[in-house]
Amino acid sequence: MIVCVSVVGHQNNPLYIQSFTDADDALKLHHVVHCSLDVIEERVNNPKTTLNEAFLGLLYPTLNYKVYGYLTNTKVKFILVTTDLDVRDTDVRNFFRKFHAAYVDAVSNPFHVPGKKITSRTFAQTVSNIVGSYGLN
Amino acid sequence: MVEPVNSSLGKMLLEEVSPVVMVLCTPLVEETFLKNGLSFVETLKPFCNFNNIDVPVRTSGDQLYRLKKFTLRLFNASDIKQPNVEVAKQRLEHVITEAGEKVFDDLKSDPPQITHILSDPESEIAPTWFQYYNKELIRTLSFSEHEAFDHPVACLLVVSSKDEQPVNKFVDLFNTNRLPSLLNDGVMDPKILKHYLLVHDNQDATTERTSKVLSEMRSTFGNNECNLLCTNSSKEGNVEHQANPWASFKSSVSANKLGCALTGDDIVEIKDLMQEFTSRHIIPHMEQKVRELNQQISATRKGLRNQIKNLWWRKGKDDVPDSTKGSMYTFSSTESQIRILGDYAFMLHDYELALSSYRLISTDYKLDKAWKHYAGVQEMMGLAYFISNQSEKEAEYCMENAFSTYLKLGRSGFQNATRCGLWWAEMLKARDQYKEAASAYFRICGEEPLHAAVMLEQASYCFVLTKPAMLNKYGFHLVLSGDHYKNCDQVSHAIRTYRSAISVYESTTWSHIKDHVHFHIGRWYALVGMHDVAVRNMLKVLDCGKQSKATQEIFLRDFFEIVKKTGMKHEVVGLQLPFINMSSLQVIYEDHRTYASQASVLVQESIWQSLEDDIIPSLNSGKSNWLELQSKLLPKKYKESNVCVAGESVKVDLEFRNPLLISTSITSVSLICELTSNSDDLTVSKEPSSLSVGTESSAEHNQGTTSGFSSFTLSEVDLTLGGGEKKMVRLTVTPSEEGILKIVGVRWGLSGSVVGVHYFQSTPGKAKTNKGRRKNKLTPTDALKFLVIKSLPRLEGSIDHLPEQLYAGDLRYLVLELKNKSESPIKNLKMKISHPRFVNPGNHEEEVTTDFPDCLKKGHEQNNLQRETSSVFSFPKDVSLQGDKSLRWPLWFRAAIPGTISLYFTIYYEMENVSSIMKYRTLRMNYNLKVLPSLETSFEITPSPSRLQEFLVRMDIVNRANSDSFHIHQLSTVGCRWGISLLERVDKILPSKSLLPGQALSCHFMIKDNRKSGTEEEKTISNPPSQTDVKMFSQDDDEKLFDIVNSPLTNFHKSERSCQETSDQLSTNTVDFILISHVAKSSNSSGVADIPKILSHHSCHNRIRSSNPLSWSLYGPRTIYHDFSTSLCEVQLKLVIRNTSSGLSSVSFNAIDCLPDAAAPAPSSGNQSGWRYVPDVTEEMKLTSDVMGSRLGKPPSSMESSPPFIWSGLSSTKFEIPPLSTTEVPLQISVFSPGIYNLSSYKLTWELSGHEDASSGTCQGYPYYLTVLQS
Repeated sequence: MIVCVSVVGHQNNPLYIQSFTDADDALKLHHVVHCSLDVIEERVNNPKTTLNEAFLGLLYPTLNYKVYGYLTNTKVKFILVTTDLDVRDTDVRNFFRKFHAAYVDAVSNPFHVPGKKITSRTFAQTVSNIVGSYGLN
Repeated sequence: MVEPVNSSLGKMLLEEVSPVVMVLCTPLVEETFLKNGLSFVETLKPFCNFNNIDVPVRTSGDQLYRLKKFTLRLFNASDIKQPNVEVAKQRLEHVITEAGEKVFDDLKSDPPQITHILSDPESEIAPTWFQYYNKELIRTLSFSEHEAFDHPVACLLVVSSKDEQPVNKFVDLFNTNRLPSLLNDGVMDPKILKHYLLVHDNQDATTERTSKVLSEMRSTFGNNECNLLCTNSSKEGNVEHQANPWASFKSSVSANKLGCALTGDDIVEIKDLMQEFTSRHIIPHMEQKVRELNQQISATRKGLRNQIKNLWWRKGKDDVPDSTKGSMYTFSSTESQIRILGDYAFMLHDYELALSSYRLISTDYKLDKAWKHYAGVQEMMGLAYFISNQSEKEAEYCMENAFSTYLKLGRSGFQNATRCGLWWAEMLKARDQYKEAASAYFRICGEEPLHAAVMLEQASYCFVLTKPAMLNKYGFHLVLSGDHYKNCDQVSHAIRTYRSAISVYESTTWSHIKDHVHFHIGRWYALVGMHDVAVRNMLKVLDCGKQSKATQEIFLRDFFEIVKKTGMKHEVVGLQLPFINMSSLQVIYEDHRTYASQASVLVQESIWQSLEDDIIPSLNSGKSNWLELQSKLLPKKYKESNVCVAGESVKVDLEFRNPLLISTSITSVSLICELTSNSDDLTVSKEPSSLSVGTESSAEHNQGTTSGFSSFTLSEVDLTLGGGEKKMVRLTVTPSEEGILKIVGVRWGLSGSVVGVHYFQSTPGKAKTNKGRRKNKLTPTDALKFLVIKSLPRLEGSIDHLPEQLYAGDLRYLVLELKNKSESPIKNLKMKISHPRFVNPGNHEEEVTTDFPDCLKKGHEQNNLQRETSSVFSFPKDVSLQGDKSLRWPLWFRAAIPGTISLYFTIYYEMENVSSIMKYRTLRMNYNLKVLPSLETSFEITPSPSRLQEFLVRMDIVNRANSDSFHIHQLSTVGCRWGISLLERVDKILPSKSLLPGQALSCHFMIKDNRKSGTEEEKTISNPPSQTDVKMFSQDDDEKLFDIVNSPLTNFHKSERSCQETSDQLSTNTVDFILISHVAKSSNSSGVADIPKILSHHSCHNRIRSSNPLSWSLYGPRTIYHDFSTSLCEVQLKLVIRNTSSGLSSVSFNAIDCLPDAAAPAPSSGNQSGWRYVPDVTEEMKLTSDVMGSRLGKPPSSMESSPPFIWSGLSSTKFEIPPLSTTEVPLQISVFSPGIYNLSSYKLTWELSGHEDASSGTCQGYPYYLTVLQS
């Protein structure tokens, strides 16, 4: 199950973070997302490897979660936290592609201020739809 | 990278994996040394570390090498046992608690900055007590059964010279019954090197006995194995050591006391003893043992044959169940021997030999499934690889292997796993693999919270050291660690970790995390009693608008609790609750510009300025104002400040927003101001903003309270903000003295004990003030600085009963009331009104005595004097205001057009006793009105076809109001030129007399140009020509007509005329109408508050409309008596043609002499040709009677076939008629016989020129009947 998705700006400022759990673990998920930024940073700044796609793959496995990352061309990061232990990369890739499209729609809104939190209700709805569709698989 | 030996792990290994010496001593020995505050072991301890012992060693190989660094570990025999788990735990806890007490004082300081952390050298990042803790942690595992490096290498037997029978004592000491159980159990080899030491206390033992005992010892145990140690040479026991060697080992007692009886010589003796003991006895003994074991093992285990044999033998034991019991291997078993060999070799720094031994044994253990032993060996292998700087990979693999093997053992192996993990982490750290080290720490967290806390904290420091630093993880692990500390009540440690974590999160926007950290650290600070710091941290949480409501409530509740506990008022600069919207800051003050109401303040300054251009003195001509004048009078430093008047309040509008979801009440919101007297330039008195603030922090603004009175007064506002609510707050300060007033900030109280302060200048560039717009050069700070000048008169004005909503056309009588409360008089009042179309000032003070609408009616004495309409209205010179007297001046108001209208009044006045800075002031008033549409009229005037001076008027009225119906009272034409009369009775078409909403009505009137009344030949209308008013309903006979020439109506009409002018071309031939109506009394549900008494609708410049630019009329006699026997009859006629168009018209007149045959009269063709009498056609007479009336003359006496008349004068002519003028054309006809003739047989062809819409056309003549009778 996908428990949390988030959009993080290029200055590591949270633009959107939404958890999909019933429990009150928002703080924990915030921390997990926040920590995984370190890993993204490490991946991106690693001189040895060059990134040739936006999908960053599995960022780090914590005890209960798997964290996946995705980096857009504008250095906006998408982070996905899931409790599924066997996740296929293609699924995650697909998820991020859809998520990216939703994000682009949201920031194309002329009333959206770049670098500010995404408050669009449509975006939230789209995201939860995407998450919902993956939760069933 | 550091040399492995010099790394912290290397040092640790040197210390921890070193030979153990078991110490057995008699109680008297302990007594001797306790004089120094130390036990015997403790006394020796500082001298067991040798940095340069320089002993040559040869172990397995032939190569000699020299040991440089060496350490001995001394233990009392009683301590040689596996430590109790509980005791060990307590000790560890004690270590942490002690460390927590040490850091306690640092907690007050500000948290470290993240940049500092990153730039700090490695060693300073983690607290030093971690090393101590780790050491203690490793020590809890000492004397484990599966390892051999804790096995005692030697035994030191110590007897005091005061003991009875010292030699026997030595024997007794090494009595197997009293030896540690580990030795007796067979885990450790009890046959160890023994060394005998006799202690001689110089203070109370005799030298003779000692030397006797020593010689006896030497003879019994052998010369080499016996030593004498003389101590306590200082008789007084007050030696103080400069660098106390024991201080670092025992901190609890005051360091000065330690070793007080030991002189320098004693210390040297101890040192020499230990050095000798190590180099002469222990190292050679170990060396020998290694050689022995090596030989033995080579014989049994090395070589292919032995290995196969071993393998086969072990296979046979396969079915033996897993056994973790140590008893499986005794010290004498081959496996243990190999292990001992390895450990000894390790301790003698022969890592090659150690490794080969470990490798050999590890397979055995593995085959035996002795996992603990196996893991222990793997661990040692890893360390050996590391310290000998061999393959990194191997080392790591071994550690990993050992670690996971320990973990596999379950709970029992966890402690070992912890130690292994610590070493592993240290190893990784030494190789700069901090990230891996962090994960190693993370893996040894375990379940016990305190332990986990320490490990997590160590892990977090590794993340800082990672290149590049992983600060997010650093923060996260610190937070985790802090939570664990808190769970174990290690509050100060929890605070410490959170403090560091703050530095990570402070600059980020992860508010959820930030709030959590600040909130908890705040609470913990409160727990340890540091309330001020607690409050400081909690303050950062208050802006927690994004949290859930429940969380916000908890935050606030705890915050207020903590604040209450501090027991004092906190003044907080930059309190985020509520949030102050600086961009909403508006300063409203009055200098020479004064405002009657709030609405007038908000009006754009440019509107006022354009309004006041005419009336403010020309001295300050143009755009500049009093500031220029002022600049001559004032020092430059005041030039840029605004001016306000003492006794008049300066208002500041500020928006407060509650960021929370829960409602918050804020008390006593007030401004913080400073008033500096400007009598001299030095700051004389700084006034406090408020007198009731009790904390030290506000002291700087509290100076000068001693004077006991305030030179200004502040308003205080209490308000409650609901969740997320915004409120505009109006704050005022009223200076009572001259000087410089500065508005510094705003303060407010929150829940009684917190005072929020916000300084305005702290956010430069944000404050946009109303007045700042005027003087853009001013900085916001300047905008909040005022020059307070002497109190001046201030005019107050209002207009009574001005409705906000009214109907278009509503005419009212209003009163402008002006008041000057001060004693000094004002004069030279002038007023200017932005919409003269709407408002007209009256002429006299309170001129109207009778009731309002009636006074406009005819019959009242009216002053019809028309004032020259000037845009500025000057009050009479003798008007001067003073004291409580008020001036009531009449105003006529008429809502001219529907829509929303802002009326601006500005009243200029001058002060009589003038202050040097301000000579005049203006009062600005602004009223906003909503004018609803009411009646809409349109007029169409068409020339009357029959009369040149008369016109038909059709008036269309539509009631556009939503709910009210109107009574039409009267229609008047303006001026005396036009007379008006009713064509039909309105009562017939509108019996109800009132026009309902949406209803339309058309009425017809006749108007008549009175100017040329003399040319008319008859008057068919009964009205006298001068009547300009017509009453619409004849029943209302009792009501008089309104007099439209009296002052308000005329004045309004004038402005209406100028407003309704469509083109600049003035046409004189227009009619202006005024329709007067009133609201039908029946309906009162309208939106208009009070029913208007009278409405006047002005319709100006109504032009006579016609498709034909010409109007003409034929004048001449109607009936002629003529004697046809004498001559034919010549009749003189006159054609008057008027050009009603605005262009020059050239007209040609063509008479048509009709020459039709007489047999074809053309009644069917209408009036196109001449008409002759047909005697027998009586029916036709009736037919045409409609047209001609009954004025046909008698039938002609004769019938002739000749044409009845001919145009005998000029029959064709062409002339030009200038616009709007009249030309007369003389005509003549000749009539040959009596009869009735229709003289319509002419044509007028016109051509319009000189105008853009040039056109042309032809008109047929109008019928004109001439009756010629035989005389």
